[in-house]
Formats: sequence, structure tokens, C-alpha cells
Amino acid sequence: MSASDVLLEVHHIVKSFGKLPVLRGVTLEVKAGEVVGVAGKNGAGKTVLASIIAGLMPPDDGYLKLEGTVLPWPFCARDKGIELIPQSPVLADSLDVTGNIFLGRELGWPSRFRWLRVPNRKRMDELAEQALATLEAHIPSLREHVAYLSPEQRQLVAIARVLIQAAKLIVIDDPTALLSSPYQRKLLTLIEAWRDKGTAVLFFSNNLDHLFAVADRLLVLREGHIVMETPTDETTREEVVAAIVGMSDRRELTPIIWALDSYYRAREQAEKLRHQQRLLEKDLAAQTSLREQLLEQLSLQIAALDKANRALQEAQRRLLTEREQERKRLARELHDQIIQDLLSINYQLEDLGEAESVPLPVREDISRVREDIRTLITEVRRICGDLRPPTIDSLGLGAAIRSYARDWQERTGIQVTLDVDEHLGRLPEPIELSLFRIVQEGLNNVWKHAQATQVHIQIHHTSPRMLAITIADNGRGLPEDFDLAAASREGHYGLLGISERVALLGGRLTLKNRPRGGLLIRVEVPHPRPSRAVLRELSPGD
Amino acid sequence: MKDTGPRRIRGVRRILNAREGVVLLLFFLLALFLSVRTPTFLSAQNLSNVARSFSWIAVVVLGESVVILTGGIDLSVGATMALAGLIAALVLQGGHPVCLAVLAGLAAGMGVGYVNGTLVGRLDLPSYIVTLGTMSVARGIIFVLSRGWPVRNLPYTFRVLGQGYIYLNALMIPVPVLILLVLTLASAVLLNMTLLGRYIRLLGRSAPALHVSGIDIGGLKQFVYTFSGFMAAAGGLMMTARLGVAAPTAAVGYEIDIIAAAILGGGGLTTGKGTIWGVLIGAGLLHILRNGLVLMGVHPYWQTGIVGAMLLAAILVDSLPLKTREQHG
Repeated sequence: MSASDVLLEVHHIVKSFGKLPVLRGVTLEVKAGEVVGVAGKNGAGKTVLASIIAGLMPPDDGYLKLEGTVLPWPFCARDKGIELIPQSPVLADSLDVTGNIFLGRELGWPSRFRWLRVPNRKRMDELAEQALATLEAHIPSLREHVAYLSPEQRQLVAIARVLIQAAKLIVIDDPTALLSSPYQRKLLTLIEAWRDKGTAVLFFSNNLDHLFAVADRLLVLREGHIVMETPTDETTREEVVAAIVGMSDRRELTPIIWALDSYYRAREQAEKLRHQQRLLEKDLAAQTSLREQLLEQLSLQIAALDKANRALQEAQRRLLTEREQERKRLARELHDQIIQDLLSINYQLEDLGEAESVPLPVREDISRVREDIRTLITEVRRICGDLRPPTIDSLGLGAAIRSYARDWQERTGIQVTLDVDEHLGRLPEPIELSLFRIVQEGLNNVWKHAQATQVHIQIHHTSPRMLAITIADNGRGLPEDFDLAAASREGHYGLLGISERVALLGGRLTLKNRPRGGLLIRVEVPHPRPSRAVLRELSPGD
Repeated sequence: MKDTGPRRIRGVRRILNAREGVVLLLFFLLALFLSVRTPTFLSAQNLSNVARSFSWIAVVVLGESVVILTGGIDLSVGATMALAGLIAALVLQGGHPVCLAVLAGLAAGMGVGYVNGTLVGRLDLPSYIVTLGTMSVARGIIFVLSRGWPVRNLPYTFRVLGQGYIYLNALMIPVPVLILLVLTLASAVLLNMTLLGRYIRLLGRSAPALHVSGIDIGGLKQFVYTFSGFMAAAGGLMMTARLGVAAPTAAVGYEIDIIAAAILGGGGLTTGKGTIWGVLIGAGLLHILRNGLVLMGVHPYWQTGIVGAMLLAAILVDSLPLKTREQHG
């Protein structure tokens, strides 16, 4: 190779900060179209060397020669064709993306004046767009102030600064710390493209993978000296690492290589993990929104069901009311019409029987028929009572239940004991009727299924607006696997009827087996007329 | 353009809460107060005087505000004004033509500015020390050149710069006001349209980015201080022409007014913000404050103190909302 190939000659550069020596005579050469990799530990002086070559700080001693001419300090490296990609981006926060990419390289008019030009933003925007497209950088807008960009985006802007103008030498000061691995690979392909175009690259890096991938020649900087200089093809990672850390013992070296390698591998892995985490988070967000949609649908359906349910309850309430009224009408008709008719027939028969013209055997027949009619009247009266407890309208719930229980006891032979709150008072008619029907159905249930000999009914207030009815028998109790729905399927409507009525009243039904055998039905229903007696009991000051 | 909508709204909002708006409001309040409290403030004579002296103060404030924009300060403007005036007067006394005198005066101002810029820009010395030094040096040169005596009997061809009128139909425009207009427009173009203006705005906060971009920061500073020296000299010439005498003690203590006006209207130190119009409004406020203090008969001993307090208040107010903004943003 002839000397004329040499693009940059760095001769015995010395630099120290105060008493701290950083570079102690660095000499190197870069040829045109060559990629020179410089490795070295952190603090070996890489950044200082890069800054000196880029003309950002003067060396204490030594000189730089570009294409055979010495660069006198201070010089503007960019004007000489030397571009720098710094370790971390140095940008003007108050300028937008285009402004930063072209800072110091603005296109403008009149082009002959350096500082007095008026910038041509449109043209610069186009070129900036191209440069960012080359990098495949995703930047929201060229008008965005770089202060609002992420560190990686800022680094990409800093790299784009190098792309807008041809350079002879590009100094790259390990900018990969801020770049994710796709952009790191992008940078490596850029370096190769530059080499193909004949641009020299001075690539400062710690990443041996990167250096071995693109560098034609490797230099190792340690403690301010170049300690190794070799074509990349003629060396191994072990040798380079040995030079970087300054050890030659292979046994001690291996762990360091491993550490170095695994450091970068770990970084890559961490990055992949982060990426996957982001994907997962996105997934999760999607799922969450799906779940929210489902929940919303569900709540809509619940609302619809609720509405339907309420309509159903309302319908049932009306049905029950109408049934009660129908029963009442029926009972009155039976009572007022049939019974009166029967009674009048009976009187007519009596008159007929006492007539002297009737022969004796016929009288006996008539007398038997009258007996039958009386039995019939009693029976119809009982039916009337079942249809409409005769006392409930006039004397109230307590009296109705008492009378019904007496009848029932006579009819069934099961002993009934009653414990009715003395201050029951009068409740609204639908509630009284419902409660009466509950007791009625409860007792029927006992009679049909319980095989009990005793029933105890208790009606009392648990609070001024809450009435509790308990029906306790000493019978079989409920089977273990009792279930209201199953009971209804088997045709046992008694308990189901109770539970429906309780639900319509907005109350609570509990069914449980008593410890000594037998079923306990407990019903609690609210009602709108507070019991004065209970109120009095609750306020002892009165 | 996708950005125009929000940007326009932001623009309107900026005018409403920007310092320019506040300073303008203060300006009108003070003017109203003075019109009511003093019989003379609104008189044609006083307004004309105020407009003339405002012109040369405002020219200097423009130069100073550019220095402050870059995060520096120029304490030598007062002495530069006096020096430029004196040198022009001495050249006139030697029988040379007016244009030569003006050029000599401007050159003297730019010379002082260039020295400032070189010391600050090339040697990285702190601007307040450097300009404090050049202030004394310039004042010393003035006393040596004038031997302590004012230079009088300046020709009318020179005094026209401060006292003359240009007649536009029925409109009588004072020459200093015209000069102010021209220099303001030139400064606005320079600061807002050229790359130079862009770099100057970045100098205060983003100097490393300029450095890495290969922009000659030292050269920029040299320009900025030379510009300030030039504007101070222009103001000094207008002042000397107006007064008709170049006194060695002229413009003593003007620095404080000028810096206060620049900070009041142009934004605090190192913000890189601030507009030419804001600076003019700041200068106007400070000027009618001075005028008002005189008209109200406030003792001169008090006046400087009040202006200084105004400067401190401006910096204080400037620093408060910035902090809260950073907390929110």
C-alpha cells in the first residue's frame, strides 16, 4: 500500500485533563474506504480520541494530517469531510428534527453567504425525510422538537445528520448503547455501505461482534496507547480481549471473554424480553377491553333479565290479586246464592215434610234429604271459608288464622298451637291475604307430607316493619337433597307457592330441619304499617 | 399543513400569557396613571421628548437583548455610547465631514464590542467580568481624550441625527425614530430569518450542539458583542446629536436601565426566547417610568433604586412561572 492511500494520519496525539493522562501518544492511520475498528475498555480514551479527530477538542501534542495536509487547530472537521456520530446525541432541544439534522449544514439562500442565509425548509425537510427513511427510523413528525423524542429517536436523528452529506471519514463513537438491536444491525449495514462507496470509517466500539462483523482492521486502545493493531482476519476474539484487558494468561482470559460475550448476549436477550413484554402488554390491553365489552354485554343482559323479571313479578302479583278477588266473588256467590238457595230449599222441604197430606215414608225421605242438604251447606260453607276466610275482612289476619287453624285441627286431627302477636294490627289487604295463604299452604304441606302430630305457628314482629311467621312441625322434615325446583317438578306446589308469595312481598323464606326432627318454615316479610306496639317497646323512654 | 391549527391557537395563547402582553399592559397602565397624575405627561412637548430619547435608548436595548439572548451580558454599553459620541464629536471638531465622524463613532463602538466578543468567545472568559473591564477602559479612554471637558458646538448637520425631522406629507417624523425603525427592522430580519439568528438563539442553551455541528461558537459570540457595540455606538451618536454636546460623563449608569429593559421585554437570561417587539415594549415601559419619575418630582436618588428594583422583579417573576411550568410539563 502506498502512502497516498492514507486518508487520515493521527500522529502521536497526547491529551490529559489536568494531571490525568488520557492519551499518551496515539498514532494511527486510516485509509480511504477502510473500516478501522477501535476497541478499548471504558475510560481507555476512545471518546477523547474521537473528539480530537472530529475537531471538538485540541490535543496537547501531536497532529492530524488529512490527505497529507496538517489540520491546524482549531479546524472545522465537518468542512474537511470528517463527520462524527457521538456516543450520545448532542442535539439542540429547541429545534425540530429537520433543524437538528441540518444544524450547521443548512441549505439556504443566498448560498454564498454562510451565516446570513435564509434557510430553505422545504428542501431540507425532503432530504431529512430521505435520511430517516434510510435509517427506517420512526419519528412522528419532522416538526417535532427533539426534546420530546425518545433517546433512541434522538440517536437516530444524530445518525441521520451524517447521512445528508457525503463525507470522507466518518467517526463513530459507539452510539449503540442507545440503540435497539435492529438499529444496531442497521448501523452495521450502513458502515458497510459507506465502505463500498469509498468512505473511511473509524468505528469505536466495545462490542466484539460488531467489530468483527464490519472492521477491516482492529486497533486496541489501552491506557492511552495503541496496544494492538492487526487485520481483523488475522486475529481472534481471545487475542483482542487479551489486548483490551492487558492479560495474556488464557485461563484467566476465558471468563472475561465469556463475560463480555454474555454481556452483549444478555443485552440482546433483555431487549427481546422487553419487546415481548410490550407485545404481552398490548395483548393484555386488548383482552382487558374484550373483557370489558363482555362485562358490558353481561350487565345489559342482566338489566334486561331484571326488567323481564320485574314484569313477571308484576304479572304474578296481578294474577294473585285477581285470583283472590275471583275467589272472594266466588265465595260470596256461593254464600249469598247457593247457600241461601239451599237454605230456602231446606225450608220448603221442611214445610213439605210437615204437611199432613204427605205420607209417612215420604216424610222420612224428605227428612233424609234435608239432612243431606244441611251436610251440603256445611260443606259449601267450608269451601267458602277456604276460598275466602270469612273473618279476614272483618277481624283481620290473626282472627282468620286462629279460626282456620281450629277448623284445620278438627279436620286433620293434627294438634295446632298458635302464638300470634297480640298487637298484630291490620295490614294492607294483599299482605294479609298473602300471609294467610302462606299459613294455609304451610299447614296443607304439613298435612300432606310431614306425617306430623303437632304444629306450632308463631306470628310476631321482629322489627316495627318486619313480620315473621314460623310454622314448625314434628314430622319427617325435608329430605337431604331438597330442592325447590325439583319439588315443583314433582308436583309439590305448596312450598313453591310459599316461596313465590314471599318473593312478591319482598320477604325472605328459610326452610330448615329442626334438630329434633320436623320442618321449620320461617317467613319474614316487610310491611308498610309499623306496629305501634313494637315501636313503643323499642323506645323505652316513652 | 397539519400543524397550523394548534399552532395558531398556541400563538394566540402565547401572546396572551407571554411577558410581552404583561409588559404591554404595564406600559399602558403606567401611561394612563401618568396622564392622570401629571399635567405634563400627555403634552406634545413631553411626548416628543420621550419619543426621541426612547429611540436611542431602544437602539442600545436591542443590541443588549441579543447579548442576553445568548446567555451573556454587556455592561459596557453605557461607556460605549459615550465613547462613540465623543469620538464623533472630536472628529467633527477636527473639521472632518459628518459621515466620517459617524463611521468613526460606529467603528469605536464595534471595536469595544469586538474586544468583548474576542475575550468572551475565544478565551471563554465570563462576560460580566470582561465587559466590566472594557466599561472602565472605555470610560478611561473618554477621560483621556476629552481631558475631562465636554465637547460642544457640534454642527447642525450632525445634530440633525438627534433633533431633525423628516417631513412625509403632513407627518413629522423625528430622525431618531426613523433610525430606530430601520435598525429594528434590520435586527428583526437578522434574528428571525437568517441562520445567524437561529444560531444566536441556540447559543444560550444548546452550545454543545452548535459545537458538534462545527459552528464557530467563538465567532458567533464575537459577532454578538460586536453587534451590541455597534448598536450602543449608534445609540450614543443619536444621544450626542440630540443633546448637542459630548460629555465625558454621558450615559453613566445607563447600563442598569438598558439591561432591565432588555430582560423585562426580551426574557430572562439564557432562555433563547424573546422577540424584538417584546424588547421594544420593555424599553418603552422603562423609559416612561423614568420620565414619569422625573415628572412626578421623585428625587433622583430614588430613581436608580426603583429601576434596579424593577430589574430584580422582572428576573424574579421570570423564574417563578418557569419552575411551575417545568413541574407540570
